[in-house]
Amino acid sequence: MVQIVVRGSVDGSSAPEWLLVELQGEVVSRHNSGLAGNVMGDLLYTKEGVPLLIVGHHILYGKQVKLEKHFAVLTKRYDRLQDGNGVDDDVTQAPMETEQSDSTSKSYYVSAIIRRKLIFKTRPKPIITNVPKKV
Amino acid sequence: VNPPSELNMRTLEEVQATLQIAKLKEEDLQKTVHCLSFGENVSSADYCLVELDDTLCKHIEAGQSLVIRGDKDEHAVLCSGDQTYDLKIADTSNLLLFVPGCKTPDQLTNSQDSCQVVHTPIWGFCNSYWELRKRRPKLKKLTKLLMENPYEGPAVGGQYTMPDLLERIQASEEEIKIHLETIHACQIDGYWRVLDFDYEMKLLGHVTQLVDSESWSFNKVSLQTSLEELAPLEPKEMIEHCLNCYGKRYTENDKVFYALHEDKVCRGIALMLLQNAVKFNLREFQEVWQQSVPEGMSTRLDQLKSVALVDRMSRPETICLLRVEDLSEDTLERFNHLFTLREKWTEEDITPYIQDLCGEKQTTGALLTKYARSSTQNGIKVFNSRRPLAT
Repeated sequence: MVQIVVRGSVDGSSAPEWLLVELQGEVVSRHNSGLAGNVMGDLLYTKEGVPLLIVGHHILYGKQVKLEKHFAVLTKRYDRLQDGNGVDDDVTQAPMETEQSDSTSKSYYVSAIIRRKLIFKTRPKPIITNVPKKV
Repeated sequence: VNPPSELNMRTLEEVQATLQIAKLKEEDLQKTVHCLSFGENVSSADYCLVELDDTLCKHIEAGQSLVIRGDKDEHAVLCSGDQTYDLKIADTSNLLLFVPGCKTPDQLTNSQDSCQVVHTPIWGFCNSYWELRKRRPKLKKLTKLLMENPYEGPAVGGQYTMPDLLERIQASEEEIKIHLETIHACQIDGYWRVLDFDYEMKLLGHVTQLVDSESWSFNKVSLQTSLEELAPLEPKEMIEHCLNCYGKRYTENDKVFYALHEDKVCRGIALMLLQNAVKFNLREFQEVWQQSVPEGMSTRLDQLKSVALVDRMSRPETICLLRVEDLSEDTLERFNHLFTLREKWTEEDITPYIQDLCGEKQTTGALLTKYARSSTQNGIKVFNSRRPLAT
């Protein structure tokens, strides 16, 4: 049987709070080049506090919700084990190649706690553009 | 919408242009715009989302750890110090983005004069998360491991320390400790041991005979005298362990005494008698049983709930050994077994044998509704199997 420890944090500090943004459907990169580094959209709030999301050619209206059950974002961590000395400096990337994998131990730590979310459930309204505005 | 500028960071002008196209008026909006973009590590990092209840959140915030215990043949569980949870994946059809730097309206100062663009990377995303559901700990394996090598005397050593047990049992440490106490296990040289039943009865026998010969009240058993008198027969730690299992320790005038627990002693002696045959004549058993317990103690059949089964339908009435600890942990298997032993059960008879199966806030009544069928026999409600079983 395997035991994997889930720690509150790497260094004993308390986990930060992040926000969850929930969208219906999928977000796909326009050029199929992967998502990393790409803009997703603009998030704004009306004066009344209603969140709006402009994604591509759509506006989505949403609302802020306090979560009944909180979420924790758990990040996997691989610690290199030294002979009998316990845990080495942390290695947060994927484990080394196979010859080292016997001497790594897997654990998780809480990267963040999520207590609230913005949920965008309404059908997106398309933005009609006749003439692109020159900047 | 305008193509993004270099470095994929939108400028204020680009944002304002978008607002104009979208026919949104700046005066209707709060002044901070979060430009969300996918962070560099969004696809590469190993992460997941887990739902935590209040108790677990406090645990984590207090710096305590949780442990995922995964058995190859079974599903993984998550344990806090004293509670075990099933881990179940919940798929949603929605996309969940985790955004560290994103503020909600109540957190915005709005003190700036003009629109401000805040570049906000999305740290990660997923469309499923782990749900935690409280469950009964799986402790049958604990008993099984310790029964591999029950203690019969100091000659043979033990195999399992607490860390060894934590590596093999899908339960929290506290739940394991409680179960160890229930099965009268003790720690010898750091190893957890369960006593061989006959050996345990031998110890109990020494104690009860001493109570008799010293003419003590069974409520006032002297630890010191017990250790002195019985040391030639058994290790002192085992005598004290026996007293701890079958009595309640207290101090009077700086001396330690034990009040023997009537129900526990009577039950132990009954188990010892019942082991000798498959079935007993109830009346004969009750006579021998009463004669075997210490002076002043009274035997009662209800002391044997969940360890012995009385058959009032047979002539003569009988009693046999049936211990709930020996039955399956799986609910369906347990019910099948019980109905194989006896076709119809009254609620009073079956309840002690299904009590431990109840989940959080679940009653035995609910279990019976789900796993059994009820009917009335001679004016009494009885339960039988939902499916035909070979008896």
